[in-house]
Amino acid sequence: MLQYINLKIDGVNIRAAKGTTVLDAAFEYGICIPNLCHVPNLSNIGACRICIVEQIVNGRSKVTTSCTLLVQEGMIIKSNTDKIRNLRRNIAELLVAQAPNSKAIQDIAVRCGVKKVRYPFRNEKCVLCGRCVRACTELFRAKAIGFVGRGKNRHIDSPFGVLSEFCKRCGACIDLCPMTITPCSGPMKPGKERLCGECESQLYLSDKTPDHCVWCELGKGFQCGRY
Amino acid sequence: MTKINTISDLNALRNKIINEQKKFKITVTLCGGTGCQASGSQAVIDALKNELAKQQLMQTVYVRRTGCHGFCEQGPLMVIEPGNIFYCHISPEDVFEIVSKTILKGEVIEKLLYKDPVSGNLIKTEKEIPFYKAQDRHLLSQNMKVDPCSIEDYIAMGGYAALAKTIFEIPPDRIIKEIKESGLRGRGGGGFPTGRKWAECYEAPGNEKYVICNADEGDPGAYMDRCVLEGNPHLIIEGMMIGAWAVGAREGYVYVRNEYPLAVKNIKIAIQQAMNMGILGEKIFGSSFSFHIEVARGGGAFVCGESTALMASIEGKVGEPRPKDVHTVVDGLWNKPTTLNNVETWANVPSIILNGSSWFASKGSKGSKGTKILALTGHIKNTGLVEVPMGTPIRTVLFDIGGGALNGKTIKAVQTGGPSGGCLPDSKFDLPIDFDALYEAGSMIGSGGMVVMGKETCMVDVAKYFLTFLQDESCGKCVPCRLGIDRMLEIITTITEGRGKPEQIELLQELGDTISQTSLCGLGKTAANPVLSTLRYFREEYDAHINEKRCSAGVCQALITYRIDPEKCTFCGVCKSTCPHNAIIGQKKQVHSIDLQLCQKCGICRSECKFDAIFVN
Ligand SMILES: Cc1cc2nc3c(=O)[nH]c(=O)nc-3n(C[C@H](O)[C@H](O)[C@H](O)COP(=O)(O)O)c2cc1C
Ligand code: SF4
Ligand code: FES
Repeated sequence: MLQYINLKIDGVNIRAAKGTTVLDAAFEYGICIPNLCHVPNLSNIGACRICIVEQIVNGRSKVTTSCTLLVQEGMIIKSNTDKIRNLRRNIAELLVAQAPNSKAIQDIAVRCGVKKVRYPFRNEKCVLCGRCVRACTELFRAKAIGFVGRGKNRHIDSPFGVLSEFCKRCGACIDLCPMTITPCSGPMKPGKERLCGECESQLYLSDKTPDHCVWCELGKGFQCGRY
Repeated sequence: MTKINTISDLNALRNKIINEQKKFKITVTLCGGTGCQASGSQAVIDALKNELAKQQLMQTVYVRRTGCHGFCEQGPLMVIEPGNIFYCHISPEDVFEIVSKTILKGEVIEKLLYKDPVSGNLIKTEKEIPFYKAQDRHLLSQNMKVDPCSIEDYIAMGGYAALAKTIFEIPPDRIIKEIKESGLRGRGGGGFPTGRKWAECYEAPGNEKYVICNADEGDPGAYMDRCVLEGNPHLIIEGMMIGAWAVGAREGYVYVRNEYPLAVKNIKIAIQQAMNMGILGEKIFGSSFSFHIEVARGGGAFVCGESTALMASIEGKVGEPRPKDVHTVVDGLWNKPTTLNNVETWANVPSIILNGSSWFASKGSKGSKGTKILALTGHIKNTGLVEVPMGTPIRTVLFDIGGGALNGKTIKAVQTGGPSGGCLPDSKFDLPIDFDALYEAGSMIGSGGMVVMGKETCMVDVAKYFLTFLQDESCGKCVPCRLGIDRMLEIITTITEGRGKPEQIELLQELGDTISQTSLCGLGKTAANPVLSTLRYFREEYDAHINEKRCSAGVCQALITYRIDPEKCTFCGVCKSTCPHNAIIGQKKQVHSIDLQLCQKCGICRSECKFDAIFVN
């Protein structure tokens, strides 16, 4: 029998099935927590750290990722405090400085309130969110791709660098990749990378990032589960 | 080998061993730790045994080869009892003299004595050495009494008595209560209360539980865990068994860093010996308690010391941390409740059980009890492993034990806690070595590394050094740690190259704060410490690099120029002939100078000049 658990996210009373993550519980009630590496129905690895929230335990606040946190009875979660918004913005800034050539990443930057980027831009092709790896491993049990290397050398590759015979060419990895959607105005040339922010109608979001869904255009087709 | 089935068996065996050892009139203790082996202790031991055999002294002289004593820089070391005579830097050629003079006649050989670098006096006995005298060597002194490959030595010293007491007299909840009351906190870096960890694991549902000893020790410069595991492996086994009894585990792992072959060898030998005696295995001491230990070799990365990465590594997966929203005491190795403790933490357990929690709690400060082993290195006279009660001021370690800075210079800073610890200036040297006090000061005890820095150290460069290490060692899984450290290093590099901007200081602070609050594992959470602590205490050095393009310590290559002091130059021409870039101009019998366009700042001229005429600007 399904067991239900009561908790509070941003002051809202929430009832969620036991075993649900805080992130999924929040979505269900229309509370928007930005995220990147989370994919519905796949395991959560807590890699991007965009989905951080504050958990209040015995009066003390603890920053943790909502995608890896399971709901517990009486839990108090705050997803949209000044502290969280600042931290989230700083993480999004790191991401967009690393990989500006993706609409998904640019959307996250706008959503998280990045107004300027204080680091020199790079033009990496992968943000190591690991969505592809988990889709391949968990949905298709193919393990045709995985993480290789540590730290700066970490990258995604097929085992031993050769196309695995287990690859069914299903393309799930490509569908889930945040880097395949280019910014609306087309790919940025090397040296011309910038913070896009062109979705002017959406920019007000970055001033007052909403904690409830306003059906914005950001994340359309990617991390937002509503579309 | 005899099996031990009761406490009285153990006591009888201990008395028998002690009586046997009493037959020897003289005991020679030689250090066979990794440090002393590197300086040739094996050859000394072989030579000594040969010489004793030749002179037919094998029945009167007992040669004990022990683990590390912690004074490796003086190795190979020897202590001769009775008399407590201490010899250092021994070579095989000295052995004949030692046997014929000291062992046979009790004469002291002066040239082998230790010379105190502070007073310049020769010191005859081990007890009088200032380096040892100011310490409280509760764990390290045990190393000197046992041959790591001899379970008899360990039993003679009172070993496995705590285990027997536990199994026959103390139920698990009382063990946990005792450990809680002792105030023991984890020595692996986090300082988590050990008793609480055990209690949570004890209460966690499930019959299958594990205990693990963390001997990964990836911090550069730290070797206290190696020293204890290598020198006294039975102590760790006993500690783990008491822990297993308390939490209800039947299996344990010792996770040893791959680079520690001697530690792996010694712990394996110790496990075998304990199995043979019935101390490990099924139905220990004839009770219903069974316990097995396996040795797992480390994955070779710093991050594998992190609890979840370590467990993944034992399971045969990639050694990568995972989120710990459910603690490892509930969901650990193979998803079973697991108690992971550091080597030194386990090593403290048997004596707490034997002597009681109040004995342990009587040492140390309010929030940190017992002793802590520190690895003292850097610009200091005495280097080595130092064991002091918690709460000892940093100053005592630096000056009473360490003997002060090299060459009578001043100490500028100490870096405590390994790569992700912090740097403290001399105004903080009165702080006690205590988990909470150091944490509040922006540093930590960490695993116990203590690097002393002199005037010629540039603090910005230090931050850069540790960031480089952490960048290499980060697993790269989470964004703040992977990209954040990378960007911090990028900024620090621009600062050391003279391209820094004032606003970058604030960015460093903000970024450091973000990394520490949002990273997935402890590596990221502490990675900003080297930057944040140097910013906090040595802000003026950052400012000098940025605003005046000046590195006062003369370290950052882009910001320094080499010059020749015309007063001191004797026109000898050595610099001119050694400069690989032909950057030195000057005729015979004329003051030389350096062509700054050609100079590549290699510093060779400076080290070659006998008259100290070349200086850094
Ligand atoms: C990056 C990283 C490296 C670590 N390395 C070690 C180590 O080498 N040895 C160790 O005992 N603990 C290490 N730790 C701490 C362990 O995660 C864990 O807290 C500790 O082993 C628990 O034992 P304790 O409570 O006895 O300290 C490390 C932690 C981190 C985050
Ligand atoms: S904090 Fe660093 S080491 Fe830890 S999981 Fe994240 S990337 Fe890996
Ligand atoms: S979505 Fe939670 S960490 Fe990436």
